[in-house]
Amino acid sequence: MSFIYPLGLLGLIGIPILIIIYIIKNKYTEQVISSTYIWTLSEKFLKRRNPINKLAGIISLILQILAVLFISVAVAHPVFVIPNSAYEYCFILDGTGSMNIVSESGTRLDAGKERIASIIDGSFDGCTYTLIYVGNSTQTVYEPTENKDRAIRLLNELEPTYADTELNEAQGIAQAYFNENPSVKTYLITDKMVDIAENVFVVDVSSNEENYAVADVEYTVAGGVDEDGKTAVLNIDVKAKAVSYQSDATLEISLYFDDETESADNKTVEVGKLQAVNVELSATVKSFKSFRVVVENKDALPMDNEVVIYSPEQESSFKALIVSDRPFLINAALRARNNVDTEVVSVEKYDPEITGYNLYVFDCAEVTQMPRDGAVWFLKPYANVQGSGFTVRTTTDLKRAVKLSYNSSSASIVTMLTKNLLKQDVEIRGFVKIGLNRGFTTIMSYDGNPMLVAGTNEFGNREVVFAFDIHESSLAGDAAVDYNILMNNLLAYTFPDVITETNFTCGDTLQINVIPNCSSIRIDSPSGEAAYLNTGSDIAEYTLTEVGVYTITLNVGEAVRTFHAFASLPEAERYTTVVQDSFSLNGTPSNNKKDGTYDDLLAWFIILALLFAADWMVYCYEQYQLR
Amino acid sequence: MKNSAINEEFLQQVEQLQMLIKNNVAGLFGGNHKTKSFGSSCEFSDYRDYMAGDDITKIDWNAYARFENLYLKLYMDERQMHTRIYVDASRSMAYGKGKKDEQALRLAATLAYLSINEMDKVSIYAVRDKQLESVVTNLLGKDAYVSSIAKLNEVVFDGDSYISDSIVPSKVGYGDGLSVIISDFLTDNDFETAIDHLASKKRDILCIQVLSKEELNPLIRGKMHFFDSETTSKFYRKNINRDIIKAYKQALEFATGRIRDYCAARGADYMLVPAEESVYKIFFDKLVNMGVLK
Repeated sequence: MSFIYPLGLLGLIGIPILIIIYIIKNKYTEQVISSTYIWTLSEKFLKRRNPINKLAGIISLILQILAVLFISVAVAHPVFVIPNSAYEYCFILDGTGSMNIVSESGTRLDAGKERIASIIDGSFDGCTYTLIYVGNSTQTVYEPTENKDRAIRLLNELEPTYADTELNEAQGIAQAYFNENPSVKTYLITDKMVDIAENVFVVDVSSNEENYAVADVEYTVAGGVDEDGKTAVLNIDVKAKAVSYQSDATLEISLYFDDETESADNKTVEVGKLQAVNVELSATVKSFKSFRVVVENKDALPMDNEVVIYSPEQESSFKALIVSDRPFLINAALRARNNVDTEVVSVEKYDPEITGYNLYVFDCAEVTQMPRDGAVWFLKPYANVQGSGFTVRTTTDLKRAVKLSYNSSSASIVTMLTKNLLKQDVEIRGFVKIGLNRGFTTIMSYDGNPMLVAGTNEFGNREVVFAFDIHESSLAGDAAVDYNILMNNLLAYTFPDVITETNFTCGDTLQINVIPNCSSIRIDSPSGEAAYLNTGSDIAEYTLTEVGVYTITLNVGEAVRTFHAFASLPEAERYTTVVQDSFSLNGTPSNNKKDGTYDDLLAWFIILALLFAADWMVYCYEQYQLR
Repeated sequence: MKNSAINEEFLQQVEQLQMLIKNNVAGLFGGNHKTKSFGSSCEFSDYRDYMAGDDITKIDWNAYARFENLYLKLYMDERQMHTRIYVDASRSMAYGKGKKDEQALRLAATLAYLSINEMDKVSIYAVRDKQLESVVTNLLGKDAYVSSIAKLNEVVFDGDSYISDSIVPSKVGYGDGLSVIISDFLTDNDFETAIDHLASKKRDILCIQVLSKEELNPLIRGKMHFFDSETTSKFYRKNINRDIIKAYKQALEFATGRIRDYCAARGADYMLVPAEESVYKIFFDKLVNMGVLK
């Protein structure tokens, strides 16, 4: 035994002092009495007491000495060194998605953490602990450490993840530890059933909980009108699969739109264990941004009971302002897309101070001030506008119709804007000669003059310029097919998709197109954590590590655009029981342990000191009362 | 007297009591105590047939006239008793706060007065070591009592006492009255032989054990080293606690019970008297209830 604070033993000096005081003060009182006959006779009637009671005469001294002894030893903080008793522990904690399954005492991960904490608590001081956590990735939380408090603190900070990371990498790390020290005691804490485990103690934290899930959600949308035949509606058919992972069950599946609390459709299906059943739901709504398919039954893993689908088209809705005295042609082209909402104002009534639109279309209108918060289309501009990126030189009227020629380069912008075009003959009868700044690409031209150009203006917004009047061109007549295709291409160019997909699985990477003039991209995870992505490249990437709805917010110029994506639990982690073939460490274990220490004596010494002190006080009180 | 407990008023009350003698009275001189034998008192007792040689003056001629047989008229015989009072004069009787010696002398004086009042003779002895010291002897009559009883004040309580060794060799008389032993009996010395001896002499016996309040109910606690007042060779060293006190009381009960039983087995009377108890209560209550007085 050793002492952390040996100076505390100086308190033992109090013991001889106590004895001296006792000898000096604790004398018998002498008294002459008439006869000692009865007193002597009383000895025969004195009950035989056990030997410990014979010490009653000096019990107060004994109690005082014991109190001083234990207080001194407690202050000195004794530590027992127990040779060859300390292990090296290596814990592999499974933190994958299925460890979120909740049982009576919390999640499976909580149960695993409790088991590790109890092993650490119950081990001798001097043991070392290594923790390998298999979460979104495999990480060594701490290298061999002897600090129990730190080991448990870092353990408790671990949160369950939603990934389906394999245990192989952890096995490799544990094997390296084992190779280095074959005495290491390796624990695998998981909910997987491991058939073969050599040199590894497997702690199974699963307990046959129920789990239901809905997956593989698909949907189709068809336009229509309501029963009155007056209002346009959307007929939506949803297909999904319902699964029960632990036992046969009767599941109730519901369909909700947006934030509605009442289901639009509801079905009850009988599901056999691990046998997915198709469920078809349908509803008619005027519009929607998202819908949810939900398993209403309560189970141990709620996070796979819901799938949220966001429509990319509905997520990307735009407002367009058409400044034109002849808006029909352009208005029809824009409204053909469901996600564009248009407003029309005549050239005369247009106020340059108007803002708040994603697209400004100036059709044969004289513009004095460039909009700064949206893309701009010019149809036959009349005058120069500062910041537009081009200059208007002369207006040319042709005596006869001439055909425009397409840019034949393989530049991506050209390819994009001419995609799917039949390249019908586009004839014009007049045009405006314009000069272009850098950053504009010519798509169509006539005699070396740019007739259709696309690029980015000085305010960072995308811009399309028709140098001719489309109403007087064949785009409004013979080339109408190409007109619609061209309009779609131009809209796709003007409003590039930020995200092309909204439905993911945990662990997937979300790709975000960094659109022009995008100054920041913020992603709010389902748990509320915010992340800001780099906007320096064309595509920003973000790994989805949580189950639920992510909110993606882009600052584009002065506008704010918001998108959503949903990440679901990987299918492999929905299973309540998973069999892992083997988790073994190769090699022959040895038993070379370190010296351990045991210093939990402190509390005992303090308790004993208090007990003896209390007992001593009671004894003294009794003696006082006897006087 | 060491105090004025034996005062005139008390003596007048005591006069109303009369000592009851159980055994056959065998005194030589006429007195106030009736005997089982027939004598010459005025009190008629019985008849018997006349026998030759009888005193013809005692023939009841009225009975002869009625029955034509000679009958002698018998009368009760009355004798004078000799009360012997033995007072333990050992040091234990006088030590401590309890005034056992005073109580013992009060009892002796009162009993002596009772006997004098019965026209009996009284002798008072002090038992010291193995000898009897006569304090007053053959005291008879109230005048003699008054003039002599003050000698009790001269009794010195010191040393040890051996009751049997003192009484047995002495002249105790035969069937002629009451023997009173007044002591604290806090000794392992023999006193039983004295009781046996007195009983064999057909004497009434009264043992009075006088104990102080501290001896009956000790209040002392803590670490004590007791020395015996009579001899330094005896001591008792203990941490006096509840257990010890409990054992003490059991021992006291055992010791007094032993004396009581021994006396009862030999027809002797026994009385435990606290040193602080009033003499009034002792005589008018206890002794009357015991049948020693009437």
